[in-house]
Amino acid sequence: MTAYTVYLDQVDGLLEKWRDKYDIYVPQKAEERFYEFRPWDPGTDIAWDYDMAYTPLKRFFLPPEEDLIKFDLRDYTASPVIQAPKQLLFGVHPYDIKAINQLDQLMDMGSMDVNYRKRRDNTVVIGLEPLRVAETAFWAGVNASEVDMGYDLFWTRISPGAFYVQVGSGHGEELLHANGKVVEASPAEKEAARRMHAETLKAATPSGLSFPWQDIPKVMEAGYDSPLWRERAKKCLSCGSCNLVCPTCYCFDIQDEVDDRLQTGRRYRMWDGCMLEGFTRIAGDHNFRERPWQRYRHRYMRKGKYIFDKLGELGCVGCGRCVRACTARIANPKAVFTEFWEAYKNEI
Amino acid sequence: MKSNFSPYVPRVATLVNKRELSDFVTLFEFAQDNGWPLAHRPGQFIQLSIHGVGEAPFSVTSPPVRESHHFEIAVRKIGSVTSALHNLKVGAKVGVRGPYGSYFPMQKFVGQDVVFVAGGLGYIPLRSVLHYMLRHRDEYGRISVLVGTRNPSERIFTCQLEELSQRDDVAVHETVDEPDEGWTGNVGVITTLIPKIDIEPSNTYVAMVGPPVMYRFVLGECRKRDIPEDRIYVSLERKMKCGLGKCGHCQINGLNCCVDGPVFCYTQIANLPEAI
Repeated sequence: MTAYTVYLDQVDGLLEKWRDKYDIYVPQKAEERFYEFRPWDPGTDIAWDYDMAYTPLKRFFLPPEEDLIKFDLRDYTASPVIQAPKQLLFGVHPYDIKAINQLDQLMDMGSMDVNYRKRRDNTVVIGLEPLRVAETAFWAGVNASEVDMGYDLFWTRISPGAFYVQVGSGHGEELLHANGKVVEASPAEKEAARRMHAETLKAATPSGLSFPWQDIPKVMEAGYDSPLWRERAKKCLSCGSCNLVCPTCYCFDIQDEVDDRLQTGRRYRMWDGCMLEGFTRIAGDHNFRERPWQRYRHRYMRKGKYIFDKLGELGCVGCGRCVRACTARIANPKAVFTEFWEAYKNEI
Repeated sequence: MKSNFSPYVPRVATLVNKRELSDFVTLFEFAQDNGWPLAHRPGQFIQLSIHGVGEAPFSVTSPPVRESHHFEIAVRKIGSVTSALHNLKVGAKVGVRGPYGSYFPMQKFVGQDVVFVAGGLGYIPLRSVLHYMLRHRDEYGRISVLVGTRNPSERIFTCQLEELSQRDDVAVHETVDEPDEGWTGNVGVITTLIPKIDIEPSNTYVAMVGPPVMYRFVLGECRKRDIPEDRIYVSLERKMKCGLGKCGHCQINGLNCCVDGPVFCYTQIANLPEAI
């Protein structure tokens, strides 16, 4: 694949150029030790060494709240609402790109989610080799340290002033040349990028898993009826924070809202979570996953087994967001997977 | 992809008839404003919406009829959408998406005996299958209809069941859990009806729908009568929101009830602990 060398002092010019067409988001220091993807303006400090963005990037493709249709109560007409701003995410880490790739597959599967697809098509994803590993992350253990697709460009900082930029799509290459020619990378620069990646892996590997991730679906299945679920979920507050910050959780609820004259309205979807108490409650108050431990189990079965059955990879990318967001300190996929592996490795 | 297409935009239908089936359940007949049949298959569901209130999934209770753009749902007043539905007057408009989901295998049933096991409101989706078969009566073997309700006041479609029981090509057996003074029929849970019917296991299909608690017991009875598991079909109720396999509410372990179901052959779900 083609690769180019871009120098740090070219970056602002490129972003400025891209801003003509796209809303640009870059990792920035938000508060204390938190980072977030926020709009870029000239002069914005890009957090090149950010470890993890606090909120998941799914919000750019599946916003927390999104209109689906608008309707008119007077004549009962309804029309689609498909909003898709042109946006460019600059500096996305591989585990987050993996999460986007997974959402792409799940949202396209069967009946395509048109709202998601339109937003995705209008979004440029520019990857970035991580320079630091978040304390709670374990992506090196779940096959999320590198991605082969899902980005338009992928940047690796090979020296204080230079980036090795891999091309992931024709559109990405075009964007890279938006401000004039950039030089093709040399074999030495390619080697430098490889070394950087090796260093990233070296830094990230200790935080990974102590066993092959491929065992996870098997131990999840073997441990489905395990008493460990009740034990682990004892402190669960059913708050759904783990769902909300998860880059691969995509469940939603659908609601209506009408204007105050009861003439027009909208039907919109909003993030929902399988950990919330009413998620599976049906008419007559029957609740299919009534107990917190049943919901807790479902979430990890989903991440460790059900998504694997559909896609051949874990539904967890090891970003560590849920670990940080959980107030009860029980949402740690690495701890769950490890505990189940220890308990059921001899049964698989 | 057509850029302006959204599966969330409902078609418009008009309420043309409304009839109380019991103290709790009402039959609603709608006509699609586009003049086309709903084109559902027995067992499928629709997402029906009342703009401003919301959407909810309903099994279609009428059989598919090629030349008619009318369809029926039977609804218990229990939540926000169903309450709003009960307040609608004939002539009112609603939104309709679907039909969605899997359906009963009407082709497999051809030439076979079919036993319907309907617990409570489970008769609603099964009625679509039953009436389809009655419309094509000569294609099917013996038809047995087992209906169980909690008490006589919760019985629905009583006149139709009465009519059915008069026919000599349909066997109807009813029971209630808790009889009242006027009840002269069977008393007991629905499983007590199964010994009353002749079953030829290799030539019989079972179609059952009922409350979650019913399935395990009926399955046990089926096992006693040697009915193979791949001849048992169930329809499962879950909280379908999108109907498109995305929103996650209706997941049964790794399956989405809205697209993988709601109608399942028992072998599909036998190993899913969350199914029944």
